[in-house]
Amino acid sequence: MIEFDAVYYDGRTSARKAVRVRGYTLAIQIVGEGLRLDVPLEKVHVDPPVGGTRRALHLPDGAQLQTDDHGAVEALFPRRHALEGWVHRLERNWLYALAAIALVAAFSWWSVVDGLPLAAKIASGFVPATWEAKLGEQTLGFFEGSLCRPSALDAARQQALQRRFARLTAGLADGYSYRLLPRDCRGIGANAFALPGGTVVMTDALVKLARNDDQISAVLAHEIGHVRHRHGLRMALQAAGLAALATAILGDATSITSLATTLPTALLQSGYSREAEAEADDYAFQRLREIGLSPKAFAEIMLLLEKARQKTSGGGPRDYFSTHPATAKRIERALAAP
Amino acid sequence: MSLPSTDQGKRHPVEFTADAGEYFRIWIVNLALTIVTLGIYSAWAKVRKRRYFYGHTRVDGESFEYRANPIAILKGRLIAVALLAVFYAISHFAPFYIWTIYLVLLFVGPWLVVRSLAFNAYNTAYRNVRFAFSGTYRTCLGLVLGYALLTLVTLGLGFPFLRRRLVQFAMENHSYGTTRFALAEGFKKPFVRPYFVAMGVAVLLGVALVAFVVAVSVIAGASAKAGAPKPAWLSTALVAGVVVFYALLFLQIAYIKARTVNAVWNHLSIGPVRFESALRARDLLWLYFSNLVVVILTIALATPWAAVRAMRYRASKTTVVASGPLDGFAQGEAQKVSVAGEEVADLFDIDMAL
Repeated sequence: MIEFDAVYYDGRTSARKAVRVRGYTLAIQIVGEGLRLDVPLEKVHVDPPVGGTRRALHLPDGAQLQTDDHGAVEALFPRRHALEGWVHRLERNWLYALAAIALVAAFSWWSVVDGLPLAAKIASGFVPATWEAKLGEQTLGFFEGSLCRPSALDAARQQALQRRFARLTAGLADGYSYRLLPRDCRGIGANAFALPGGTVVMTDALVKLARNDDQISAVLAHEIGHVRHRHGLRMALQAAGLAALATAILGDATSITSLATTLPTALLQSGYSREAEAEADDYAFQRLREIGLSPKAFAEIMLLLEKARQKTSGGGPRDYFSTHPATAKRIERALAAP
Repeated sequence: MSLPSTDQGKRHPVEFTADAGEYFRIWIVNLALTIVTLGIYSAWAKVRKRRYFYGHTRVDGESFEYRANPIAILKGRLIAVALLAVFYAISHFAPFYIWTIYLVLLFVGPWLVVRSLAFNAYNTAYRNVRFAFSGTYRTCLGLVLGYALLTLVTLGLGFPFLRRRLVQFAMENHSYGTTRFALAEGFKKPFVRPYFVAMGVAVLLGVALVAFVVAVSVIAGASAKAGAPKPAWLSTALVAGVVVFYALLFLQIAYIKARTVNAVWNHLSIGPVRFESALRARDLLWLYFSNLVVVILTIALATPWAAVRAMRYRASKTTVVASGPLDGFAQGEAQKVSVAGEEVADLFDIDMAL
């Protein structure tokens, strides 16, 4: 027989009554001042244990017993909660806690490095191209508003560039509506951006830096590669996934809704990953060959950009190479491209 | 707070007996299980964490109980995640229609608040007597619309009154068993005052900041004209200016929180029970700041410790004063409360906590 002290509540008021509980094989007997109650074990609902908190035994008609005698409750109601009983045993042991830390750390690391990019790639397959264009428009608003003005190049020059771009995108038939926007962006320097949905922004500084127009074609082909691989959309989805993950781990420490509004700018500022750049490069090499140009033009313009960067002694934080790392390797790949 | 209590009541300090180490193990094990089960277990994790906190909060030796059913919470979470996905999709791909979302939120928000309060009240018990919330959606919607309009028209000056009215709505519609919460009229002034003090300080700060920037740029311009190098203290002064600005912003948040919480709890009564709350702005400031630093330095591993510490402070500054025994509260009628509101409100960050 198991005996323990408890507090009894009758289910009608907050009045407490100190009682002695005796546990038998089929029932418990509750004895206190003016109270003698027998309750069958199967009519008692026991809350799963959590840490060292007081145990509550729910009785018929809303009555309740509360006790700190964990041993007696476990002995009377063994294995009442298969799942939470097991979780409770894990929670009590520092060794399991350490294992949990390792698991959470490994998962977080994997998510950021591999999991989220993979999930974003899969999820992007479900997003129609028209939605993607909307995302691009939103980002474009940011450029047009604060960073860039219409190009200062003369009309004939702009037309020549548009013809180059048209040749690169001719017959792609991939559902994107491509357009080239030459822009004068003083703060950005020589650069070009692909926006989701097919818009490519190119700065006047880049046009002036290039020694010949094949080099400009090479950069544009690279940006078209970003569009076709949907890198902008994938980045946005990845950032959303990261925000959701952080919220799940930190609980209410961060707010999802405020993050949702900052995503378009995050997309701009962090640039593409090395893998994304390599994918876009490969596309550029292939496309240049298709229209009868050499990937060497890509190596040349990369070299020019690198030199321009060194001349401005590190350059601003937004220059081409801070968003396009490992340049030497990319130049080598362009020269070795078939 | 050394004034002797004129009340004849018995004083019960609120105790919080949680152990940071124990809570850490619960937190990390439940987090790991949530990951392994691809998020499904998160409902159980939430209930276990809440039950741990409630169970360690004691008044007069008896602890609180959290009784929510994890399966109900799981259903609510699924609904919330679906809604959130829609919200994301629209804000990303159709930003021009985002106003429809805000319009919907304006009408759904009050519903979420009411359902969330009702769910939490219904699932909280003390001495085997449940709490309850009886506020209606219509009242809440009317309040939000009316006072939101007032806030717009008065360029934000009406906001403290909106907050005050909502808190009053939330408190006065709660009951413990059959005993209604009562909020004395006296709470109004001390509740609104800190907002206006903070606004006044903010205006002064803004003026000071503008003056500071002008002064710095004049000095910088003068030295540039003279061809002399910029004085070394200039950049230090700029950094110091920014640090002071943010520190004061933090202080404002702590000040408003401490004063409004005190205002509400010091004027609240539940039958023969009333409360004393003595939060201090400088304590909260230190608490928020040190928690933030420690959580960042430990790459979030100290989150459970920070949560326990915050709750311990709150409990240590709260006292229950009972002018009679706590035995006389009658159980209310049972009512079923659905969970969806609580979970959606959680994810959309609608917070009515006080």
